Amino acid sequence: MAIPMIELDRVAKHYGDQAAVADVSFDIEKGEFIALMGPSGCGKTTTLRMIAGLDQPTSGEIRLWGRRLNEDAPWERDAPLVWQSYALFPFLSVRKNVEFGLKQRGLPAAERRRKADEWMERLGIAGFAERGVDQLSGGQRQRVALARALALEPEMLLLDEPLSALDPHLRVRMQSELVRLHRELGITFICVTHSHSEAFAMADRVVIMNEGRVQQVGAPRDIYRRAANRFVAEFVGGNNLFAGTASSAGTRLRVDGPFGTALAPRPAEFTFQDGDAVTLVVAADRIELAPAPMGADNEVEGRVVTLDFVGSSVTVFLETAGGAELRIQQSLSQIENTPLSPGQTITARWSQDVGFFLSS
Amino acid sequence: MAALRRILLIAYTALLFAFIFAPIVSTIVFSFNADRFPSLPWGGFSLQWYAAIFNDATIQRGLVNSLIVAGVTCVIATFLGFSAAYIDYRYRFLGKSVYLALAALPPTVPVVILGVALLTFEGRIGLSGTLTGIIVGHVVLSTPFAMALVRMRLADLDPDIERAAWNLGATPWATMFGVIVPFCLPAIFAAIFLTAAVSFDEFMIAWFVSGVNETLPVRVLAMLQGQVSPRINAIGAIVFAVSITLIVFAQVLLGSIAGRAARRKG
Amino acid sequence: MSEPLPLPDTASEPARAASSRWANRARYAVFWGAPPALWQAAFFLVPLCFLIAMTFWSVRNFRLAPDSTLANWTFILTAGFFRNAYVYTFWLSALTALIASLAAFPAAYTLAYKVSPATRRLMIFMLVVPFFTSYPVRIYSTQIFFSPQGIINTVLVPLGLGPLQVLNTPTGTVVGYLVLTLPLVVLLQTFALSNVPRILIEAAHNLGCGRFRTIWQVIIPSARIGLIVAGTFAFVLAFGDYVAPTYLGGSKPPTLSILIADQVKSGNNWPRASVVAATMILTLMMVMLVMIALAYGRRKGRG
Repeated sequence: MAIPMIELDRVAKHYGDQAAVADVSFDIEKGEFIALMGPSGCGKTTTLRMIAGLDQPTSGEIRLWGRRLNEDAPWERDAPLVWQSYALFPFLSVRKNVEFGLKQRGLPAAERRRKADEWMERLGIAGFAERGVDQLSGGQRQRVALARALALEPEMLLLDEPLSALDPHLRVRMQSELVRLHRELGITFICVTHSHSEAFAMADRVVIMNEGRVQQVGAPRDIYRRAANRFVAEFVGGNNLFAGTASSAGTRLRVDGPFGTALAPRPAEFTFQDGDAVTLVVAADRIELAPAPMGADNEVEGRVVTLDFVGSSVTVFLETAGGAELRIQQSLSQIENTPLSPGQTITARWSQDVGFFLSS
Repeated sequence: MAALRRILLIAYTALLFAFIFAPIVSTIVFSFNADRFPSLPWGGFSLQWYAAIFNDATIQRGLVNSLIVAGVTCVIATFLGFSAAYIDYRYRFLGKSVYLALAALPPTVPVVILGVALLTFEGRIGLSGTLTGIIVGHVVLSTPFAMALVRMRLADLDPDIERAAWNLGATPWATMFGVIVPFCLPAIFAAIFLTAAVSFDEFMIAWFVSGVNETLPVRVLAMLQGQVSPRINAIGAIVFAVSITLIVFAQVLLGSIAGRAARRKG
Repeated sequence: MSEPLPLPDTASEPARAASSRWANRARYAVFWGAPPALWQAAFFLVPLCFLIAMTFWSVRNFRLAPDSTLANWTFILTAGFFRNAYVYTFWLSALTALIASLAAFPAAYTLAYKVSPATRRLMIFMLVVPFFTSYPVRIYSTQIFFSPQGIINTVLVPLGLGPLQVLNTPTGTVVGYLVLTLPLVVLLQTFALSNVPRILIEAAHNLGCGRFRTIWQVIIPSARIGLIVAGTFAFVLAFGDYVAPTYLGGSKPPTLSILIADQVKSGNNWPRASVVAATMILTLMMVMLVMIALAYGRRKGRG
């Protein structure tokens, strides 16, 4: 099997007895767009900084094409970073900022100029070339930061919360622009973000972290459809977590809880005894609404608590007689014929094939 | 009522400023007075006191000594002040407060004490009575001023900026001379002017340590012990001119920094 | 973000690469960190310690000899001229700090609240200027002002108000101290008052607090630290000054700095001068400690 481009092998970073990163292992392939995602303090930024060499792992190994990278100084690495604060050089013009890295590599002036022109053109900042960076808007500074990093023509680009400082409408534009750049350049992008919508929209694979550990690595769709644990299921949002008691029902497992009763495929990875406490996860968009029960399996009756409209989709919150909460996500067109108002009783139902169980 | 109160306050402030600046202004005015004794009425315009000091070899020697001392002091003190400010900006370490206190405290010790301490100590190591001895003391005294100016400037630097430079392939040394020093340049020049002014005007350490190598302020001090002489006014006017020029340069540089910072925030 | 000073990383495995990298980083830190520390240690700390050590030396046949005698201390501390000079210097400096603080306050108040920001900047710039312009020359000029034939008496005598005898009196010394300290005190007080949140003052007015009560109950307590620092600086500067008491006060009675200068310049008794200097250092340290306690202590007291 080919060596992955980047390997993180049991990497940890301690500050005193605080572990910023407790134990992190995953691989990154050439040309991938990887998102490191998690709540603040989960260790994602420290992980990125260790890849850049700005922080030293306390233990474990980071490898690039199989070669140990730990002792390489930041300036010896080829992993330019786009900083959350942009960290542009305030006393230099846009052009000099973009040329900075090229100058460190000893490129002759003419070639630096040519490359800087090319990248400023490509990122739409050629018009500001001679301006000072303190005269630019946030979006323009972001482009300077990108041009400054990409002008080095690196084999990987690191991004630390690249969209967090932008206005919402700019954020969406920049997001698609990053995806386009990634596709065109074919280099590896490693992006830290706390927003799952950003991560899922941009990345080929997402690494979800919490408390210094990797919770799950996978394609956005896989993570969304099959969370590895409770943290991921809750963090990515849009899931119903039904706690209950397990009992065997042929090829399926039956769960009884405050929400009612449901059947779901028996998990292959772990076994349950009858009477074990389990959690069943059902995605909110996999649940349908009906005016009244039809006598089929996986039907739950509940009272509409509230409706939450976002764009063309609506999330309906139900409360069952047993006190469980359900969230059901539908497109507006799907519920057009179903009259819905708070207080009304309605039936939620889903297929016996869509739920999955969490181990603990 | 409020207007009257404001006028009274401003009048009082003007009076206070008059008290502070009267000695400076009168020195300059009377340095051009033909009369021997500086008093009213004005005795006519004359440059004779300037002519007198330019023909006085001890004053000339004092001026040259002062310029040498200030010239060397400002370079060393600015380098040391920059280094200490950078260390404060960049590192955390055990005993840092002691380090900073050591670097910053000298101006709070009366110069008369610094003067005696340096005199006795330099006598042991063969520095007393030399210009080097004066420079050593002036660097001690003026380094904290340079440090404060540079540190203020560094406070405006994005804390990630050094790492950003490393990340783009710059070694720490390249980062120092490609990022930190250019960014601090206005503060560095301001520090050079300010420390030069401190040294140029310092008389107590110089008086104790100088021996026969008098600097200009030490010469002035010696002249004060003698008779009233309008030549002191002429020297004073020249000294003021030099100091104020240095301070104005420093302030203009600092003002440009402050203005830029204000614009960035606003 | 500041980083910890590089220390060898004992946990990492390929020790050689790591240790050479550590050596590079340490060399860089030492290059910038060591010179200021060494310079100030060698030419500030060591001379001051040497000064203290010298208080225990003896002078035999006009030559200094290392010793561990307390003779200098007992001589100075029991000498009437020292006690007089000490008390005189201390009270005159304290008086100066008080007068300077009171005299500066209305001006600082005006600069902080009653003028445009542009005027304030200009005035602040002007106040910095005297701090760096030859102090002896300014004292000389002041001496001329107050001399019997000087400007002030030329104006006052015909009005039947003079002649004013200021030179060679304690008043002369205090005038000189004020020439030295006022610019700095006005400057520091202006900074202190400018830093009082405007909203506090407006809130006080809004709650019906009159102008003077606002100054007394809102502005002064809020600016307390800065005001105390300003007064302390005035004390420290006056306490160590040599020029004003010599040329305006006429050296009579002498201050501590005049004692030091006399012992060194004419008496050539360095150990005794060192004792005087040591008592000055101790006094200033005590004063600063008291002032720090005043400035930062009992903050909640008036809540």
